[in-house]
Amino acid sequence: MFGTLIRIAMRNLLAHKLKSFIVGGILVFGTMLVLLGAALLGSIEASMAESITGSVSGHLQLASSKGKDQLVLFPGPLDGNEIGVIEDFPKVRARLEALPEVRAVLPQGFDYAMIFAANLIDRKLANMRTLRGKGELETYRPVRDHVRRIVELLDRDIQRIRGVIDLDKDDGARRGAEDVHHAAQPEFWADFEENFAKRMEFLENKVAQMAIGEDILFIRYMGTDIARFTSTFNRFEMVRGEPIPPGQRGVVLNTLYHEEMLKQKTARRLDKMKDKIAEGARFESDDELREWRRMNVTQYKEISWQLDDAAADRVAEKLRAHLGPAPVEAAEAASPTDDASGPAHAVDGLLRRFLDMDDGNFAARYQLFYDVIAKELQLYRVDVGDTLTIRGMSQGGYMSSVNVKVYGTFRFQGLDKSALGGMVNLMDIVSYRDLYGFVTAEQKAEIKALEKRSGLQEIAAENAEDALFGEDADLAAEASATGFDEFADVDMSKGAAKWNERLTDIVYTQAQIDGGVVRNAAVVLNDPKQLQAARIAIERIAAEEKLPIKVLDWKQASGMLGNFVSVIYAVLLVAILGVFGVALLIINNSMVLSTMERTKEIGTIRAIGGSRRFVLWMFLIESIVLGAVFGAIGVGLGAGIVGWLGNVGIPATNDTLVFLFGGPRMYPWLSGAHVAFALGLVVMVTTISTIYPALLATRVTPLEAMQDKEG
Amino acid sequence: MTQSGGQPGAIVSLDSVYKNYKLGSVEVPALRGIDLAIDAGEFTVIAGPSGSGKTTLLNLVGCVDVASSGTVRVAGEDTGQLSERALTQLRLRALGFIFQSFNLVSVLDAFQNVEFPLLLQGGSTKGERARRVDELMDKVGLGKYKHHRPNELSGGQRQRVAIARALVTNPRIVLADEPTANLDSATGHAIIDLMKELNTTQGTTFIFSTHDPKVMHQAGRLVELVDGQIASIQQLGVDAAPPADPHAPATAQV
Repeated sequence: MFGTLIRIAMRNLLAHKLKSFIVGGILVFGTMLVLLGAALLGSIEASMAESITGSVSGHLQLASSKGKDQLVLFPGPLDGNEIGVIEDFPKVRARLEALPEVRAVLPQGFDYAMIFAANLIDRKLANMRTLRGKGELETYRPVRDHVRRIVELLDRDIQRIRGVIDLDKDDGARRGAEDVHHAAQPEFWADFEENFAKRMEFLENKVAQMAIGEDILFIRYMGTDIARFTSTFNRFEMVRGEPIPPGQRGVVLNTLYHEEMLKQKTARRLDKMKDKIAEGARFESDDELREWRRMNVTQYKEISWQLDDAAADRVAEKLRAHLGPAPVEAAEAASPTDDASGPAHAVDGLLRRFLDMDDGNFAARYQLFYDVIAKELQLYRVDVGDTLTIRGMSQGGYMSSVNVKVYGTFRFQGLDKSALGGMVNLMDIVSYRDLYGFVTAEQKAEIKALEKRSGLQEIAAENAEDALFGEDADLAAEASATGFDEFADVDMSKGAAKWNERLTDIVYTQAQIDGGVVRNAAVVLNDPKQLQAARIAIERIAAEEKLPIKVLDWKQASGMLGNFVSVIYAVLLVAILGVFGVALLIINNSMVLSTMERTKEIGTIRAIGGSRRFVLWMFLIESIVLGAVFGAIGVGLGAGIVGWLGNVGIPATNDTLVFLFGGPRMYPWLSGAHVAFALGLVVMVTTISTIYPALLATRVTPLEAMQDKEG
Repeated sequence: MTQSGGQPGAIVSLDSVYKNYKLGSVEVPALRGIDLAIDAGEFTVIAGPSGSGKTTLLNLVGCVDVASSGTVRVAGEDTGQLSERALTQLRLRALGFIFQSFNLVSVLDAFQNVEFPLLLQGGSTKGERARRVDELMDKVGLGKYKHHRPNELSGGQRQRVAIARALVTNPRIVLADEPTANLDSATGHAIIDLMKELNTTQGTTFIFSTHDPKVMHQAGRLVELVDGQIASIQQLGVDAAPPADPHAPATAQV
């Protein structure tokens, strides 16, 4: 009988081809949508899981169960930061790492801070000291002249700003402006060599800071157990330099952050232009390319500012050779701009011509830039090997700062170009604690000891912490005034930096790394598939041992970002509901019509002994066959598309997508569960849409078979 | 055959049967006190003008409708007492239907249409069904048209398929409502002849309605209806003598 039902169903579907094709088309589309959506989202979820778990979060995150705010690793502006502190982390770690599922438990802390890179004047002044100290006066003089020129330019800029905004309201600013103006006068330089120490001190302490403005940058970093992090998080990879030595203080910078925020701006723009041109963009059709070019040309001083006379001559010579004779308005190149405080170098005009690139000469000029110009520039404001002053807002609300060495740059594989994954830098957890204002008893003792060694006894013990974090400017100035020659090549504007320098040599033990304050911790599993099992196991242990921790999976800990997939799921669900809602209505409608058309046939079947149940099944099976046949076609097409996408990959067109895709391209895949889900859904929808017409059909009486004649 | 009440020996009996239809708010009487008994093996024609109640009478006997009052007994069962499901079973096992407009399932071919009631009955193998269907298709002369769909057959051929379908379960009673109305007279005659022949050879009870005088005279017994009442009953010919056991060859429930 089942065979007959199928046969009747098939025959009916074939008998009403147009209707079947319209309904079938919708079903095919719906099934494809379900399949594609499920496959894409499944793949995104998997890639994203890998991206986030392999770079930042681990599979699970632990936080204090007493925290006021929820832990969010990628916080939005509304996310609070008071997540509390995990008590007795060494015990937590020991207990959890005993679990077979758990590979490692790492302490973590995330925060934003400001970094102060030594600016151009700082570097040049340091250079002057070194060269003069060594007696290399031949090389010393051009550097000195360069500093003079920079100071003159700075003074000119300040005087110009003064005309626009009223600096004099602020005492500090007014004094600073006067200091720069003083240093820009010929008298200041006339007897410079005779008063070297005094003049240098004035430049270092009064003038350099006036040029600091643009050198304040924000940095987002993760403080963690670096040695174990680099060996457990599989997306981590050093690019330049070396990893932070185990147990020592230091930072490694994310390549993207390093490039985007710290690279010389002209060079960075040229890099981006090169990437864009490689992707097929052209100047005449691409606004962004033209805008970058415009900025390069108008901001040529980004380069010339850094060149001393000798370097400027070298660059000018090469550029002149490359560019050939200047066009008619050659005078422009040599003509001084508006400034009276020093003649513009001939290189300025050449640079402007050089930077005005087009499709034809870009490749050659890009090459020339790196071969000739970049060599004369400080290409990165902070580079591998530098010491970086990082200032943060501590928990107590005061500013704290640490000096840490930049050991190298790293990347999270596949996430190089994603701002979300590429902007997190890594710092040792001890420095993180200092910045965040956590000071253990042991550290306090250590600080005191260092204090003594540094000869800073005059600072009262209760001020030690303030001194350490450079909170008190007077203390800093006082300290700096005492002068330590061995630190002369470091940004000395903050006195506390001196003994931070010594801190960098300390090797901390594992107990010290784990023993301090831990805000949150990443749990890395041996097998990501055991996430739920591990979570339950951890929660059980936490309950048994009364550990005041709560467990979040990476998705919860990622906040908005983790919800991203859920949001797309919701959107997809709405789309699917829409399509199937339409399908439901159409199928229902056409089946009701079909019931009416087939009244006589149904009546006949009833008259010759067909039961109501038979009639019900006749309709249901017709729908199920419809759903199965067109669902299968939809699955076939969908699988074809997913297979094709799986081969060519879906390009990630923006940062967020790179992060979600776990790389520049995503290769979606299909699982049996996706197919079963899509087929099941379409059959369910067609079946549901037939229930009403099928019930109508069962109400047809056998009398209907007799209807076409008189009583 | 259960002989529970009614006329002894009758396979169908109607006892003061009334049937009213509701037409809007008006009750229209279709049958007004019918008493009739039909014996097994009879070849009975119900005749009468349009609106005389022929179809209503057949519907009651065919268990597709129930009387407003009175008793209708079919194959020993009081149809007024049966559930919907039991009525369906009775139609399936004891009755065969031949319709005025053939009422074949359009999406099935001739063979499948004939096979259909056997599938509804269930319990038979594919081979048993094929033998039974082939036998009947040959008997109605459509052996060559088994795999034609209804729309590929002529009216007479379709009605033959319908006859084969009505007989395939070996029912005790075959009901035919104006079976020749949609056929030309030659074909109509051939159909009546076929039915008569089956009546004679199988001993199946045939009850059919017609208003065609030529067809009426083929009847063994002619029941004339006028305005929902029996106007006359004439014994015209000799019915097939009921065989000692009319269902012996086939009641092995195919």
